[in-house]
Amino acid sequence: MQKEIKPPRLFLQFFRWFCSEELLDSIEGDLVELYHERLKKEGELKADIKFIWDVLLLFRPGIIGIKNKEYKTNHIDMFRNNLKIARRTLWKNKTSTVINMLGLSIGITSCLLIALFINHEMSYDTFQPNAKRIGRVVMEYSFLGSEESEKGTFTSTKVAPVFSSTFPEVEKGIRMSKSAAILQLQGSPVTEPDFMYADSTFFDAFAFTMVQGNAKTALNGPNKVVLTESMAKKYYGDSDPVGQGLEIGEDKTMYEVTGVMEDYPYNSQFRFDFLASFSSLGQNQNNTYWNANYTTYLLLQDQNSFGSLAEKIPPFMEKESAEIGANVNFTLEPFDRVHLHSPYSDFVPNTSIDYLYMLAGVAFLILVIVCFTYINLSTAKSVERAKEVGIRKVSGAEPSQLFWQFIGESFLLSGLSVLVSIVLVYLFLPGFNNLINRQLQLDDLLSPVFIGFALSLVLMLSLIAGAYPALILSRFQPMKVLKGVFKNTDSAKWLQQSLTVFQFGISVFLIIATLIVQGQLNFIQSRDLGYDREHIVSFPVGWSTDFQKVNTLKKELKSNSQILEVSRTGSSPVSIYSGYSMNLPTRPENEVIAVNGNPVDENFIQVTGLELLAGSNFTEQQVRQTYSEGDDDLTFNYIITESAAAKFGWSPEEAVGKEMILNDQGTVVGVIKDFHFQSLRNDIQPLVLFTASWGGRLLVKINGENIPETLDFIEKTWNKVLPEMPYSYKFLDEDYTRMYQSEMQLGKIMNLFSTIAIILACLGLFGLSSYLIQQRLKEVSIRKVLGASTFQILNILSGSFVRLVFLAILIASPIAYWAMSLWLDDFVFHISAPWWAVAVAAGVTLAIGLLTSGVHGIKAALSNPVKNLKSE
Amino acid sequence: MKKYQLGEFEEVVMLTVGVLFNEAYGVSIKKEIENRLDRSVSVGALQTALKRLEEKGYLKSREGESNQERAGRPKKYFQITALGREAMYFTRQTREELWNSIPEVAWKLKLT
Repeated sequence: MQKEIKPPRLFLQFFRWFCSEELLDSIEGDLVELYHERLKKEGELKADIKFIWDVLLLFRPGIIGIKNKEYKTNHIDMFRNNLKIARRTLWKNKTSTVINMLGLSIGITSCLLIALFINHEMSYDTFQPNAKRIGRVVMEYSFLGSEESEKGTFTSTKVAPVFSSTFPEVEKGIRMSKSAAILQLQGSPVTEPDFMYADSTFFDAFAFTMVQGNAKTALNGPNKVVLTESMAKKYYGDSDPVGQGLEIGEDKTMYEVTGVMEDYPYNSQFRFDFLASFSSLGQNQNNTYWNANYTTYLLLQDQNSFGSLAEKIPPFMEKESAEIGANVNFTLEPFDRVHLHSPYSDFVPNTSIDYLYMLAGVAFLILVIVCFTYINLSTAKSVERAKEVGIRKVSGAEPSQLFWQFIGESFLLSGLSVLVSIVLVYLFLPGFNNLINRQLQLDDLLSPVFIGFALSLVLMLSLIAGAYPALILSRFQPMKVLKGVFKNTDSAKWLQQSLTVFQFGISVFLIIATLIVQGQLNFIQSRDLGYDREHIVSFPVGWSTDFQKVNTLKKELKSNSQILEVSRTGSSPVSIYSGYSMNLPTRPENEVIAVNGNPVDENFIQVTGLELLAGSNFTEQQVRQTYSEGDDDLTFNYIITESAAAKFGWSPEEAVGKEMILNDQGTVVGVIKDFHFQSLRNDIQPLVLFTASWGGRLLVKINGENIPETLDFIEKTWNKVLPEMPYSYKFLDEDYTRMYQSEMQLGKIMNLFSTIAIILACLGLFGLSSYLIQQRLKEVSIRKVLGASTFQILNILSGSFVRLVFLAILIASPIAYWAMSLWLDDFVFHISAPWWAVAVAAGVTLAIGLLTSGVHGIKAALSNPVKNLKSE
Repeated sequence: MKKYQLGEFEEVVMLTVGVLFNEAYGVSIKKEIENRLDRSVSVGALQTALKRLEEKGYLKSREGESNQERAGRPKKYFQITALGREAMYFTRQTREELWNSIPEVAWKLKLT
């Protein structure tokens, strides 16, 4: 049998695809007939070509009719129609539209702001190309015989060189140290707070962009400094800084500017304006594991080195620390986990990932409230839309079409809200930045990630919030609906009520949490710490500024009647974190006790108002004994706290006159009451005050009657006596507040967002009650006609809402109480979670619930029954 | 004025349908035009014209028999409707009137 030759399949298929249905058969027949005729006359090739040509020429309007085209156009029309209906419905129900829009916009704005914040915190250090293989060194040490150990990111200068020569995994070690430095700007001293010393290996490990100068050599050798662009501008204007000299420090050491680099990114765990060579610190670079005042980073070969180093370091350090009478060990923190996961803040305060989770939780709760409001309002309104659904169904609408119609409505609404909230974010961002003390950029909002986030938010909101009402509406039975005996189903009512309970539960939770956070913050603010911090001004005076000069300054200052007392000290009583070890001459040399120490003069106790329990204060003579012009022996005296005395087994009275060792041997002259010289997160620790002719801080107690005038006087005196030191001051109570910055921020953010959440919940209840009461207008009217009083009606109408609010309080209070107790446990000194917080939250929520539902209730109760009854 | 609209190619198709009488379907019309007028006609152009004429009501169609040559597809035969006849007549008449209105002198002029 002869093989049948057919026209080119592909083009026949193409023709079948585009040709309109009623023409297809006859034209295809014509084409095939022609093909066979040509096949006989002209051969296969020509027949094929002519066939293809014919098909292509048939591809023209009039012939083309894509299959199912009537359905396609229908979809577009339906979409347009749905959009129109959605617009009209939104416009018609202005109250619920406004409530929903307002709620959604505020909710989405909150979410976007929180997302921006979280995004910013997550972005820390991500720009570092080597982030995965850099480790930050954490030191842990304890003295022999002592069980307490100290842990932190302080390391000595020895760690970097020893580790990089001992362990092949360590490629480079980078030592860094940041301090404030005094620079000369046009002849006058200026304190630059961000002066960083770093090894030249900085450029091997970290990201940087050099504008001028050679990174390879910029930090080789002492007294070299690289400026950031903004500093180059500040100090040299438009002239070329490279090669110039810069006077740095109290002794005006000449540094050579060897380069200019771009300003360091804000989202980095270290920031600086100046980068000076580490070798400039010269004399400090001795070979000991003590003097741990620097931060060390290690550039490793790869990520696996973390594991192998964790095994190798402990045995190595055990050998190394055998001779020094203490256990010293080092661990490594992955660089990219420092900002969010490390408990040790170094150059830049860390943010705990827990706070981010908390914020994300709050954002989520706000969204939940908003969604619930939407669901509640649309199910409540569903009675009104029931007729529309009935008619649509009778005209042949499928449930799925109706479902998508209602989803489309919620999509339109949430899309509009997102647009509004982007504008709101734009308006509120500066204020929010102020509140959280960050510099969030609006540009982040326009990044693809964020636009994606906003879009998915719209999609999610419209699906989650719209799905239930859409499902309910699309399932209505047209028969029932159109007969007019339609009411909300029991399940819908049940859902409405549980959602309301949930919303108010969230509000109650947030109110309680906010109150407790505030309570704890107030407690911190007002707690008697054992010392006085009112009206004390603190000045940086220079750690080794001449004793006599400072004494002159002290005397001149005291001549003013507004100034009560002046003291020079190492640290202010707000935070003393200098670790020392103390011992007795009678005990074995290596059985030392870890203790905090602070160098002070004879006025320290008067200025800070510490309470002496036994013995006496230091005398001026005793302080002078620590000052030597030649190489006389220095004599030290000590005042210890009662808990420090207890470490030696002494009562306060016993301690006075005893000899003890803190670096040097000396006599205990007095014992003071314990006081909080560290964060309230920590327990009270033992402390030794020792006489010293040095100290970096000048504390001035003023009587606070005329603060500006007093400060003015201090500045004048200062410039006369200490013109080489920049004048700057801080109030001690502000310093103290700064210690709890992250808690304060948390408090502020919690305040803000819980207020928002409560407002949103109220909005929801407001809308819901208005609809539910409208549906009961007839019932209310009949009751009135039969003689019910306004109060009775109000009782009936609001009673149901109040019951819901009560239930919410019952459910949420224990949860909030429990969760906040956990948070409080983080502080050693804390308030006990107060029951009054629960009472206040309950009261506030009830009042708000009553008020919002009462407004509609009263309106309904006062309305004229004739008006409501005459229709129908 | 434009009571019956008939383009040039449409008129040719109508006339050919008339010539073929009961045998007028796609392929036969195409061949007839190609033979008589010595011009090539694409299937696309022809079918578009036929569809348009049918929509205007000048032609009507019926489904015819099929054969193996056409892979089982039926032929679609066309027939001139009364309206179509009127349109053709109208066109012819207007042409004739125009012809008749040309003055004799016009033909006598030498055009070269």
